[in-house]
Amino acid sequence: MTNNQRAGHRRSNLIIHTVLIAASIVMIIPFAWMILTSLKTVTEATQIPVIIFPSHPNLSSYAKAFEKSDFAHYYVNTVFTAFMKTVFPVIFSSMAAYAFARIRFPGRTILFFIIISVMMVPNPVFYTPQYLLMSKWGLVNTVTALWICSLVSPFAMFMLRQFFLGISKELEEAAILDGCNPFQTFRYIMLPLVKSALVAIVIIQLLWSWNELQWPLIINSSPDKLTLSSGLATLVSMFSTNYPVLMAGAFMAVIPMIVLFFLFQKRFIEGVAFSAHKG
Amino acid sequence: MNSRSRYVWAYIMIAPTLLGTVLFWTWPAIYSIYLSFLKSENFGMVNHWVGLANYERLFKDKEFWQDLRNTLYYAVLFVPLTLLFSTFFAVLLNAKIRGLSAYRVIFFLPQVTMPAAAAMVWVVLFARDYGLINHLLGTHVAWISDTRFAMFALVIVGVWGAIGFNMLLILAGLQGIPRALYEAAEIDGAVRFRKFRYITMPLLTPTLFFTTVVLMIGATQIFDSIYLLIGKTNVALPAVRSLVYAYYQNSFVYYDQNYGAAIVDILLVINLILTGLQFAFQKKWVFYD
Repeated sequence: MTNNQRAGHRRSNLIIHTVLIAASIVMIIPFAWMILTSLKTVTEATQIPVIIFPSHPNLSSYAKAFEKSDFAHYYVNTVFTAFMKTVFPVIFSSMAAYAFARIRFPGRTILFFIIISVMMVPNPVFYTPQYLLMSKWGLVNTVTALWICSLVSPFAMFMLRQFFLGISKELEEAAILDGCNPFQTFRYIMLPLVKSALVAIVIIQLLWSWNELQWPLIINSSPDKLTLSSGLATLVSMFSTNYPVLMAGAFMAVIPMIVLFFLFQKRFIEGVAFSAHKG
Repeated sequence: MNSRSRYVWAYIMIAPTLLGTVLFWTWPAIYSIYLSFLKSENFGMVNHWVGLANYERLFKDKEFWQDLRNTLYYAVLFVPLTLLFSTFFAVLLNAKIRGLSAYRVIFFLPQVTMPAAAAMVWVVLFARDYGLINHLLGTHVAWISDTRFAMFALVIVGVWGAIGFNMLLILAGLQGIPRALYEAAEIDGAVRFRKFRYITMPLLTPTLFFTTVVLMIGATQIFDSIYLLIGKTNVALPAVRSLVYAYYQNSFVYYDQNYGAAIVDILLVINLILTGLQFAFQKKWVFYD
């Protein structure tokens, strides 16, 4: 490379960094503004001209959001729902995925098609009948209703099946010769081999469940049965322009996922990229 | 082990997923179509078969056509803008620069942010009198309550949330293009533009196509940001109300489940067409290696 070319290369890298840093700032502004506003007083938050930094940062809005709404319940409900919507689909889907990938049985194709066909259907299509079902079972306005329909996940089953299909058959055949039944082969031989896919599924289920709005909004209305997502919606109607309290609430709702994201960046990015192949 | 007992194991292993799917997902999808042919009274205690009456009402309803237009308008703005920005940043990040992982994390952050919380922050940013955006631009625009601007506000929030993820998909597509092709082209004396036009574009088309369809499907289902950014009492709501919002409103605010079911079944048809297009055109004009 000549000196001239090297200088040109450095210059173009400088331009690229400038553009990317400017874009990064734009991407981060909403987060920065959320935190800054949550530390302001109401007067500071609605001051003209706009001030950027609070003169006396204080946490009183966090206390207020916690006291005046049922934030403790929102947290418990959200965490519990996310747990149920993660653990059960992962267990059930991996079992079914293995059976569909590796065991030949009568009706395999049609049963597989029945399960995956719901992946083409947009979520709102399911809500009214699911609501009617919940109401028949007396589950409207209960925490159970938040997760019960998501105990199984056709999407997770489909993705895991792809992974099982990609594993060579030799190990498995050895296990079968040793007298393992299909469940034992699955549990002790195959499952450990798809660990990275399982982690990806766990992350996606966790994230989807944590952030979901429409179903919790439809099914539950008692303040102690809301999730963080549907709880924030009621916070808006309670504190319409009390921006510091709204931002404190928003911050408390997003921070657990953001901390998890910083701790497991690579896993998160892989996991979510993986979910694009839905449908 | 004989094959019959292997069958039994297979059925046991698929049973939870199969039964759960049929009960909680397949049956509701079918029932949703059935509901759209009924008229319910007394909170669903009495149902009459009314044939296509709900759809006839739908097609005469100006509000429905407006909602459909809004949904498509949102998709037409949101999808190309997201693709454009995502491709642009992916190409920059593909230039082997330092700090790739830091940029990736920053751009990805909106993806892990609860849409409800993000919408609330944007409400504050877009505020007419005390909002940061008007302050920085020196404007005095009611972004979210002016019918002329509300759609753009929604699109900005949508694009902000979607860039990171789609950028990564496109970056993965770019990294999948063999370097040898570019080297061969350089030997042949190809300039940067020609390399982009004749190597990058054709080989990136499958990724872009896939991304477009996924974005379109997502865009037709917009709800969260309308519910929280615009809100039910906003005068600009009719200018942005989507099909899913109309479904929610009719089914769970006005308690007209049958009319709501008809609306959401139109969405189902749109989504099935998009999925069908994906399958049909995938082979036709996407260049696979």
